Amino acid sequence: MSEQKNSPAQGMAGVASRFMKDDNDKFSPLATLTVIILVVGTILTILRFTQGLGAVTNLSDTHPWGMWIGFDLMCGVALAAGGYTTSAACYLFGMKKYHSAVRPAILTAFLGYAVVVVSLLYDVGRPDRLILAYPFIVQQGTTSLLFEVGLCVLLYLTVLFLEFTPIPLEWLGLRKARNIAVKLTLVLTIFGVVLSTLHQSSLGALFLIAPSKLHPLWYSPYLAVFFFVSSIAAGLSMVIFEGTLSHKALHHRMGKEYLEEHPPLVLGYAKAAALVLFGYFMVKVVGITADNNWHLLPTPYGIWFLVELLGFVALPCLLFAVGSRNNDVGLIKFSAVWTIIGIVLNRLNISMIAFNYHLPLEERYVPSWMEIALSIFMVTCLILVFRFIVTRMPVFDEHPDFRETHE
Amino acid sequence: MKKPGHLFRWTTITLFCLGVFLSTDLQGKNQSTGQGQGEQRADIIIIDGMTSWGELEKPSVEFPHDAHTEALAIEKISCDKCHLKKNESFFPKFKRLEDKDRVEVMNIYHDNCIGCHGEMRLQGKKTGPIECDDCHREQKLYVSSRQPVGFDNSLHYRHVEVHEKKCEQCHHEYDEKTKKLFHAKEKEGTCRYCHKEETQENRLSMRISSHIACINCHLKNQEKNPLNLPVKCSQCHAPSAWQKIKKLDPVPRLERKQPDMVMIKTGDEELDAVGKNRMNLVPFNHKAHEGYNNTCRVCHHQEMKKCNECHTLGGSDAGKGVNLELAMHKKDTDHSCVGCHAQQYKKNKDCAGCHQFTPATARMSNRSCEVCHIPLPEGVELNDKTAQLLLDGRPQKPDTYRQEEIPEKIVIDKLSKKYEAVDFPHRKIVNSIVEKMGDNKLAAHFHAEKATVCSGCHHNGPLTKQPSGCASCHTKAFNDKDMHKPGIVGAYHIQCMECHATMKIDKVGCVDCHKEKSPQLSSPRNKGKE
Amino acid sequence: MSISRRKFLGWMGAAGLATSFGGDRAQAASTKEFTGHPGSFGVLHDITRCVGCRSCEEACNTVNSLPRSAKPYTDESVLNKKRRLNSKEYTVVNKSVQKGSPLFLKIQCNHCLEPACASVCFVDAFEKLPNGAVVYDASVCVGCRYCMMACPFEVPTYEYDDPYTPEVVKCTLCAPRLEKGQLPGCVESCPTESLIFGKRDDLLKVARARIEKYPERYVDHIYGEHEMGGTNWLYLSGVPFKDIGMREDLGNMPAPALTSGALHVVPMVVSLWPVFLAGMYGMAKRRNKIAAEEKEKAVAIAVEQAESKAAETLSQAMEKAKKEKENILRRMERTRKKAAEKGLAKSSETKSEEGA
Repeated sequence: MSEQKNSPAQGMAGVASRFMKDDNDKFSPLATLTVIILVVGTILTILRFTQGLGAVTNLSDTHPWGMWIGFDLMCGVALAAGGYTTSAACYLFGMKKYHSAVRPAILTAFLGYAVVVVSLLYDVGRPDRLILAYPFIVQQGTTSLLFEVGLCVLLYLTVLFLEFTPIPLEWLGLRKARNIAVKLTLVLTIFGVVLSTLHQSSLGALFLIAPSKLHPLWYSPYLAVFFFVSSIAAGLSMVIFEGTLSHKALHHRMGKEYLEEHPPLVLGYAKAAALVLFGYFMVKVVGITADNNWHLLPTPYGIWFLVELLGFVALPCLLFAVGSRNNDVGLIKFSAVWTIIGIVLNRLNISMIAFNYHLPLEERYVPSWMEIALSIFMVTCLILVFRFIVTRMPVFDEHPDFRETHE
Repeated sequence: MKKPGHLFRWTTITLFCLGVFLSTDLQGKNQSTGQGQGEQRADIIIIDGMTSWGELEKPSVEFPHDAHTEALAIEKISCDKCHLKKNESFFPKFKRLEDKDRVEVMNIYHDNCIGCHGEMRLQGKKTGPIECDDCHREQKLYVSSRQPVGFDNSLHYRHVEVHEKKCEQCHHEYDEKTKKLFHAKEKEGTCRYCHKEETQENRLSMRISSHIACINCHLKNQEKNPLNLPVKCSQCHAPSAWQKIKKLDPVPRLERKQPDMVMIKTGDEELDAVGKNRMNLVPFNHKAHEGYNNTCRVCHHQEMKKCNECHTLGGSDAGKGVNLELAMHKKDTDHSCVGCHAQQYKKNKDCAGCHQFTPATARMSNRSCEVCHIPLPEGVELNDKTAQLLLDGRPQKPDTYRQEEIPEKIVIDKLSKKYEAVDFPHRKIVNSIVEKMGDNKLAAHFHAEKATVCSGCHHNGPLTKQPSGCASCHTKAFNDKDMHKPGIVGAYHIQCMECHATMKIDKVGCVDCHKEKSPQLSSPRNKGKE
Repeated sequence: MSISRRKFLGWMGAAGLATSFGGDRAQAASTKEFTGHPGSFGVLHDITRCVGCRSCEEACNTVNSLPRSAKPYTDESVLNKKRRLNSKEYTVVNKSVQKGSPLFLKIQCNHCLEPACASVCFVDAFEKLPNGAVVYDASVCVGCRYCMMACPFEVPTYEYDDPYTPEVVKCTLCAPRLEKGQLPGCVESCPTESLIFGKRDDLLKVARARIEKYPERYVDHIYGEHEMGGTNWLYLSGVPFKDIGMREDLGNMPAPALTSGALHVVPMVVSLWPVFLAGMYGMAKRRNKIAAEEKEKAVAIAVEQAESKAAETLSQAMEKAKKEKENILRRMERTRKKAAEKGLAKSSETKSEEGA
């Protein structure tokens, strides 16, 4: 509690040292690894922006989108879905008992989207023009789903930022500004859900343009629906998973409300996740049926598709159901991780593995180690910033000065 | 975990379902990829006769017939181990003369196949399978390479010789009244007159009847004949075996009282009368055409009738609506005169150089009609002698201008940009074309006019001694008033190169015709000499 | 709430409409069929006429001032390996051997009637010109490479090696030359007129006429007439197109039609989702309110009951007290009476005693 009242200036000053050192002021293996990742990431960043995409990536004319789109963008956006699912549950569907989970979820979402945008700066050929918002200011390609995704991500990032502002404002003690920000909550939540619905689904719809390149088992006119529904499952699972992770590392930072509400939240989310995953499984089956692609199942790609569908959709659905029935938090946490892996697998399948399936193996894309390293670098940065914020600002607990002011 | 039992149970069930799902699909995968990978054999008989009673319960059986023949030959067991006799001849069906009902047929196979295999196994001999799925295989072991065997004029003549012209040994007809087979001398037809694809009433299918006739005769004469008479599947049905069948050259004529020369008539007596025919009747060299083809069926379909019996002037059902005009002139078939002749010059590389440019839609010239429809001199009768007379009167060699009348060289220099001018060896090319026609009769009849040879290149213009040059019509490329016509550069290249390619003339590289102007820019290339 | 709901919905609607109705090319999912700009140009590539001389490659390289290739264009060994388009070549010729004889296929941008690249570009960098060319404006390109993902013919390529100003690279149909009245470089250099240039409609007629005239020479299909909604580049072949590596499974739907459904859902989501969410919010709030009211009522009743019970108890107690009081009073009275009588008697006694 005492640390929380640190002034921002103090906090900033101690950032660097605190990030890299554990409590005993010694370099732990984890901290060492972090430093290595940051150093390598920085070098690769310089390499990327001075030598070009070709120097760092394995991207080719046949595979223009690689790891940074498939993982950083596709998975990043899906896994940041916890923000809108939780705030919608709490503020719109009246599940007040999840109130304490909203802030961590919003923070994760905000940082997740920030990483997405930063990754895009790495990925596009002319990041300067992305920063200058060419698609929105210079010339608008309104028939593009990417335009829609971009616009929604931009707006949603703003929404998330506004939703997030009460946290630093409380930290900074700016009561008036904070109260205005809090008043906006409902509007922002609705806005956020609408934007999330649009861009989560449109991310899937991006691939609608390429029926000849994406394997028919993954290609479906319902791609947008698949992405949207699975993003809800991803969001729910991420909240469970990230709660668990934070619990381990930041237990001392958690307020009473959060600690009390967390176990019922996990159960409630597990129920919801089971339901959503069941729905997702059903729409996937509808997808195969609609295109009558059953005959493709007994092929190597078909088996891989079944691994994804049965192993990473049906199985976690069942495990969530069993877990919530038996109050088995351990099982639920396991299922959450399993679901997250499944969603990541799905996004990678669509963007990389089942994409360009018609090409011979030697013409296929495999990410270079540098692309993977930069993705890890991004995730590491996200975790560090997350840590920085939650150890200082009122995220897992309530600021003592503002305890009674929320609805 | 509170209730690990629950979790374990559910996981097990899920994994089990997953397993079942995957394994069934894997099986399916094997099935789909297993096609077309087996050993190729010409003797594969697919036993699926029971399909006539509905869907098979198990996959059909592949039966390698020669393997059985050979195995039994070692044991000195004759064909009657498997085949019943009907009228002293082995019947092709397995242990039965006809298919009565499903169960009976099934039992015949099961009892005899498994019985024999079992017996051999008891005796410790190498034998076939006795388990259901080893015969009824989902994944086939073999690929049938069986090809239908032809009975061409050469083979026919050899049979005529062996049978001492006793046609009745094979040829017969059926008398409806006496219900007996009889031989109609000099009216012999092909087997397919009566024996169709499928057995109809008392007429056996072509497949069964031919096997009864050929194999039984071969078996009976096996010892008498020094030649190895074919009785095994692979001796007739494997294309590799065909080379071993002796070919006669030339093939002596079939004797069936067919004409040597004949006037092709319409079948309408009034129109066919002297002086009444509106179109000159065509004299036809039947004897020569017998030599051009290896079976009569090339022209005559299944029955040895006159064309106009079915292909009447107006068309008839028997002629499948193809009237006489079409039967003789239809281009896209090899049954008609024109169609078959067109095939000749498109297939023959010496002809195709020029003739590849003849569009399918092109109308035949009026002059070409008279090549066949020869005007009848006055005062002659319409008989085979007249036909002979008319045919002999046709030009027997292609003709063209005298050497000094043909320009020797033409220099094409107007277009030279990147390449130097072309010295076009005009006379050499004309001579070469004429030479390639040789003594081909078809070519001789149609290239009798001197300018005809010229029209291979100087197309779409009048036949004259001085036809127009390329640039008369071909000018600048892509004239939107006539998009169909190539420009001058394209015209040269298309005409020369496609002709060279088709005639397999090795000069198709750029510098084969014109030298490059600035050799320092890029090295000369030569496609043709790869 | 500080913003009125109406204002808020207005914003959302505007955002949605902007993304869905802004484009003039998103007409795919209607009954209208776009058959290309009238009089637009194209090229017919007759594969049976191509001799693989690579003059087109050389001409393309020259007219577009592309980096000169290491091997001379006369080097035919280049043809032995299958090549794809790349950022240094707008067009390449590939050889494939069919039934023993070589066939040559020139590949380049097909200039679709309704290009996928143009429909997916979020800066609208691609334009379908009325003359048929699909051209690219490098000055706005952000480099997202969605065009490359979308192109069914795998045409656009990228300058991955340029760190600062990479561009998408593809054939322009020599649009600048067309404006000057010149032919595309490749067409002009083709010695055999394997490439012919003209209005697309005329080229279709030429192609149909060729098929009709030489049915044994061509397969009865003009590639590009309907593929992906039609292209300005057309092909004739003597062998099935899929045998020479051209995809026949692309379908005839123009690319924008593939995404128009998803785009059309956007304004619906923008319009209806807030209504639904607000409804959910309202219901949740009402549910809570009703719950609160019911709770209040129950408390009131309980209080009332308790009160009345208390009152009853009180009154009973009062009654009892009253009775008791009465009893006491009565008793007191009685006692007093008794005492009085006693006193009376006693006094009389005393009186009498006194009197005695």
